Amino acid sequence: MQTQTNNKRTVVVGMSTCNIAAGAQEVYDLCRKTVEEKKLGVEVRITGCLGMCYAEPQVQIVEADGTRSLYCDVTAQRMGKIIDEHVVGGVPRAQWIAKYDEGETKDLMGKQRRIVLANCGVIDPEKIEDYLAVDGYKALRSVLEEKNPDKVIDALVKSGLRGRGGAGFPTGMKWKFARAEKGPKKYMICNADEGDPGAFMDRTTLESDPHAVLEGMAIGGFATGADEAYIYCRAEYPMAIARLYKAIAQAEERGFLGRNIMGLGFDFVIHIKEGAGAFVCGEETALMASIEGRRGMPRIRPPFPAQSGLFGKPTTINNVETWANVPWIIRNGWEAFAAMGTEKSKGSKVFALAGKIKRGGLVEVPMGITLGEIIHEVGGGTGTNRKVKAVQMGGPSGGCVPAELFHTKIDYDEVTRTGAIMGSGGMVVMDDTTCMVDIARYFLDFTQLESCGKCTFCRVGTKRMLEILTRICAGKGEESDIALLEDLAKQIKTTSLCGLGQTAPNPVLTTLRYFRHEYEEHIRDHKCRAGRCRSLCTFTITDACTGCLICARNCPVSCITGEKKTMHVINQKACIRCGVCRDFCKFDAVVVG
Amino acid sequence: MEKIKLTIDGIAIEADPGTTLLDAAQAQGVFIPSFCHNRKLKPFASCFVCVVEIDGRANLVPSCSTAVAPGMVVRTKSERVKLARRTCVELLMSDHLGDCLGPCMGACPAGIDIPGFVKHLALGEDRAALELIKTNMPLPATLGRVCPRPCEEACRRQLVEEPVAICHLKRYAADAGAGDESLPKPAKTSGKKVAIVGAGPAGLAASYYLQLLGHKTVIIDAHEAPGGMLRFGIPAYRLPRDVIDREYAVAARLGAEFRFGTRLGKDVSLDDLRRDHDAVFLGLGAQRAQAMRVPGEDSPGVLSGIGFLAAASRDEKTPIGRRVMVVGGGNTAIDAARTSMRLGAKEVTILYRRTRAEMPAWAMEVHEAEVEGVKLEILAAPTKIEKQAGGSLAVTCIRMTLGEPDASGRARPVPQEGSEHVRVVDNVIAAIGQSVDAKAAAGVEIAGWGGIVADERTGRTSLENVFAGGDCVIGADIAVRAVAAGRRAAIAIDQFLMGKPVVGEVARYNASMGKLADISKKVIEGREKAAKARMPELEPRSRVAHFKEVETGYTAAQIRAEAQRCLECGCRDARGCRLRTYAMLFEADPRRFAGQKREYERDDSHPGVVYEAHKCIQCGTCVRMTEEIFGTSALGFTFRGFASRVRPALGRPLAKIDDNGLLQIVEACPVGALVLKKAPVAVQERSFKRPPVPGLE
Repeated sequence: MQTQTNNKRTVVVGMSTCNIAAGAQEVYDLCRKTVEEKKLGVEVRITGCLGMCYAEPQVQIVEADGTRSLYCDVTAQRMGKIIDEHVVGGVPRAQWIAKYDEGETKDLMGKQRRIVLANCGVIDPEKIEDYLAVDGYKALRSVLEEKNPDKVIDALVKSGLRGRGGAGFPTGMKWKFARAEKGPKKYMICNADEGDPGAFMDRTTLESDPHAVLEGMAIGGFATGADEAYIYCRAEYPMAIARLYKAIAQAEERGFLGRNIMGLGFDFVIHIKEGAGAFVCGEETALMASIEGRRGMPRIRPPFPAQSGLFGKPTTINNVETWANVPWIIRNGWEAFAAMGTEKSKGSKVFALAGKIKRGGLVEVPMGITLGEIIHEVGGGTGTNRKVKAVQMGGPSGGCVPAELFHTKIDYDEVTRTGAIMGSGGMVVMDDTTCMVDIARYFLDFTQLESCGKCTFCRVGTKRMLEILTRICAGKGEESDIALLEDLAKQIKTTSLCGLGQTAPNPVLTTLRYFRHEYEEHIRDHKCRAGRCRSLCTFTITDACTGCLICARNCPVSCITGEKKTMHVINQKACIRCGVCRDFCKFDAVVVG
Repeated sequence: MEKIKLTIDGIAIEADPGTTLLDAAQAQGVFIPSFCHNRKLKPFASCFVCVVEIDGRANLVPSCSTAVAPGMVVRTKSERVKLARRTCVELLMSDHLGDCLGPCMGACPAGIDIPGFVKHLALGEDRAALELIKTNMPLPATLGRVCPRPCEEACRRQLVEEPVAICHLKRYAADAGAGDESLPKPAKTSGKKVAIVGAGPAGLAASYYLQLLGHKTVIIDAHEAPGGMLRFGIPAYRLPRDVIDREYAVAARLGAEFRFGTRLGKDVSLDDLRRDHDAVFLGLGAQRAQAMRVPGEDSPGVLSGIGFLAAASRDEKTPIGRRVMVVGGGNTAIDAARTSMRLGAKEVTILYRRTRAEMPAWAMEVHEAEVEGVKLEILAAPTKIEKQAGGSLAVTCIRMTLGEPDASGRARPVPQEGSEHVRVVDNVIAAIGQSVDAKAAAGVEIAGWGGIVADERTGRTSLENVFAGGDCVIGADIAVRAVAAGRRAAIAIDQFLMGKPVVGEVARYNASMGKLADISKKVIEGREKAAKARMPELEPRSRVAHFKEVETGYTAAQIRAEAQRCLECGCRDARGCRLRTYAMLFEADPRRFAGQKREYERDDSHPGVVYEAHKCIQCGTCVRMTEEIFGTSALGFTFRGFASRVRPALGRPLAKIDDNGLLQIVEACPVGALVLKKAPVAVQERSFKRPPVPGLE
């Protein structure tokens, strides 16, 4: 893709939160300095995240003819060599370059179908010119010129786009409801309060391609009759917020936002509201209460936001990823979108792969692909000799899908049948060192702390479930606890006001459904097969030990003894059962008892 | 406006558009519980106890916030709804810290509203205090003197210094109201007649409450005067006879017929009583003295404790020797020893086989006996009694050591070999216990240990119209438990007579903060120490010369100060609390979800209102009222999840907020988290028949 504004050679450094966390700032600074000092005559630019978070920082060298070389795992030291050899010397360092058409990168990219992520890691998110160069704001122009909101809504309905925030409500229908409401004042909201642990789709989208979201919102505003919008973004995403402010300013300057957009008579203003970190503010009614300056507490629906939303006005609220799909659908036609996916789930879906996965990062795959394809082919499996045991979909509101069900297609209804939910796209991959009781406890601990405290079942019920899980993990569970957990879980699901409470028991219910034996082992046999529940496990070294010393060196309490090339022994009295020895052992010699 | 048609519990109804399901159901007389619903406020849906099931919806919906819709099929009584409501209440209870009743009240077998009457006394409302006491206690002057005070053992004032002198206060209220014959008022007669066997505390209580319920009672007793063990087992210096007479006179005034000198099984049979009356209550007591089982115990000069006390009760000149040995460690032993002193004995020794710590007698009584000159010899027991020439008794005693605990949990006394020694005395009084002799109640099922088998709650025996209670059912015990048993039986007998199911008194749910050791130090924070008022008593040296009452009673000045020491535990909203009501209504199990609980957090900075966050159930009514009705943000939600709390704005004390409308907001709190400081103190209705719980009775 050709994005630079001249035909100069360009060094493009990935500068997203994930890249920077991996050390990209140092790489970028060095690059700038070297290029200036040595007057190399190449342009240094930034871009967002390509999704290959497992191999960051990343640097792309774009030749004058547009060919790109993608360097992965770039350190400042490597950057120096890349400049010397590739930029100055003209000889690429082949072993550091990821090739899209072969090996790992082919596996990663081959099955992806990028709509939302198309520009991510390609364009400079801080330059509107880059967005314009990839047909940015053309979709908005076309709908404003055509002046036919119903046609826009019709396209959205026919595209089959469903809400990407998790619930999967048909976007076009939502817009239709809002449009049917009487004006004059209507609002539009972008929900960027991404809170699921292990999910970062929205952050990356906003950091890497903010204009796509803005354009989508403006199109939505035109279609529904709204002239004012809010992006509710969590304050923990400072880079996303900074780039959004920059993007809004640039768009307003160029007449793509603000008054009388492109001279076509449409006004649309976007504000940014920073969320203070409450997970529940991702729930739409709580989110609106928060914008209004009230405590983020969900309220009962109806009335739905489309009828009475922000400040009591008709409001359309969609998630970042949903908005980012809109310009593409308008530009490429609903038919192209609807051609992708399954009967009831169209287009693509972005997933954040995390946990025990080789290629952790962001991927965008067509609907209808199987879970197995995503995890094993796109994500590369665990990347160790351990087997994938399950995947947690949909974060703390979702469920654990066991490896036996990896033939499940990515489709709202199919995923729901497993007990999990499509969710916003978080996928936490687990191997056999993950204890399913412990993981349920982990997620419940999260939702329990994040409950707004309004409803009895959610506020007290989740706390009680957590207490039961905690005692099971501590080996103090009782036989009756499983039934009590199940009873409570089912009641909380059906007797809570908002999605947080209604879905909070899902991790427990799905692990109970697929991994009940692990609960029973904890309670009856006082055994944690995964070796995670410290009260219930011991680590021992078998004769598979080669005496390599690695476990002993990494033991945080130095309780492993043994001579080189002889079998090692763990001092059980001193052992804190952290499992580090097992994680480091290359010979499967450390076993859990 | 066209009405909307829907079905609630199978009944087709019509309602205006916009009506909530809760209102629509209630208009039809369908009961729907709710904590957070308030007609003055916008729907909120936080408590979820009002949930109903709607056909076609997977989730239960809060009826307070769901509008009627055409064709809706609503169920409010399905099993699923019941389970959800019960679970909701159980979850709220698991995070609700407080006491419905003061711990004293919970510890009182008769369930006297102690904080209530003490508060009345503190305010100088003596008659109101007595009225409240009498709803549960027909013998307050008597029990005010002889009760061993389980209430005071539970009193939280101990955490500051000493318990409140509850029993002395009760005695004061009863004595102060002694001349007042207006209490209680007799009821309309039912025409039913109940025979009561035994004029002790159990029989008297049964009679008293049956009379209040409109039934005629006939009390028969083998003795020549009323009171049972109160009269014939407790010496006059502890319980003056005129006090007994005065309290029993109330029963007579209410219409009870006493037949003294009438012994069951001899003068009248149980069958006769059953035939001639609609029901019979057996309050026989435990009046047979237990034998010591030592050789020579039938020698002249060896007396039984209760036999001796009964004789002394009839004749204050009953002869006794100069040297007296009392065997036993209970209150009867102490009473026998102190009575011996008053009858002229010079050397009185109590022989007890364990140590002072194991003595069942009340410590204060032991102390008073010692003050009067009684000697206590512990770890000793008689093994043989021999009559000597000249009439004195040679008692061979043996020393004991304490061994392993026995079945009663107390250390077993083990005889020390070779420690025998001989003591010469004029009289031996054996006061080692009493047992039940129920043979006279022919036909009633008798337990292996000799007592009558009767239901704990109702007193029902194996015979259709025969009830029993007190010592004859549970063995020798304290008077207050006999009174409680008589009262419970009266309620059950009334149910029986009126053809209702005989279920006894409906148990109410009572939350408790726990035992003394579990109580947060914050409960007594800021409480100044104030010593308990000392009971004035006669000087020890002179008082042993007669049977005048030793304890002379509090002065009026002492009463107010002592009553003001009460910490006023218990909830001011115990009567109105919806959580308590629903707990009973839905038969909720408070332990089902037991876990971490909110901590004690009381804000009494405001002159008129107390906020106790530990009782709050987070329904949000107060928060919404400040906002929607009074236009302030004086109260708000803080924090998240399980830790979320309703707090005054900006973390200020309640006294510092904009309290516009606060008094009305307090009224709306469905539990006792926000209460008026001047809220009525009595937690019970002024009727011993407790108020019905909606839906329960």
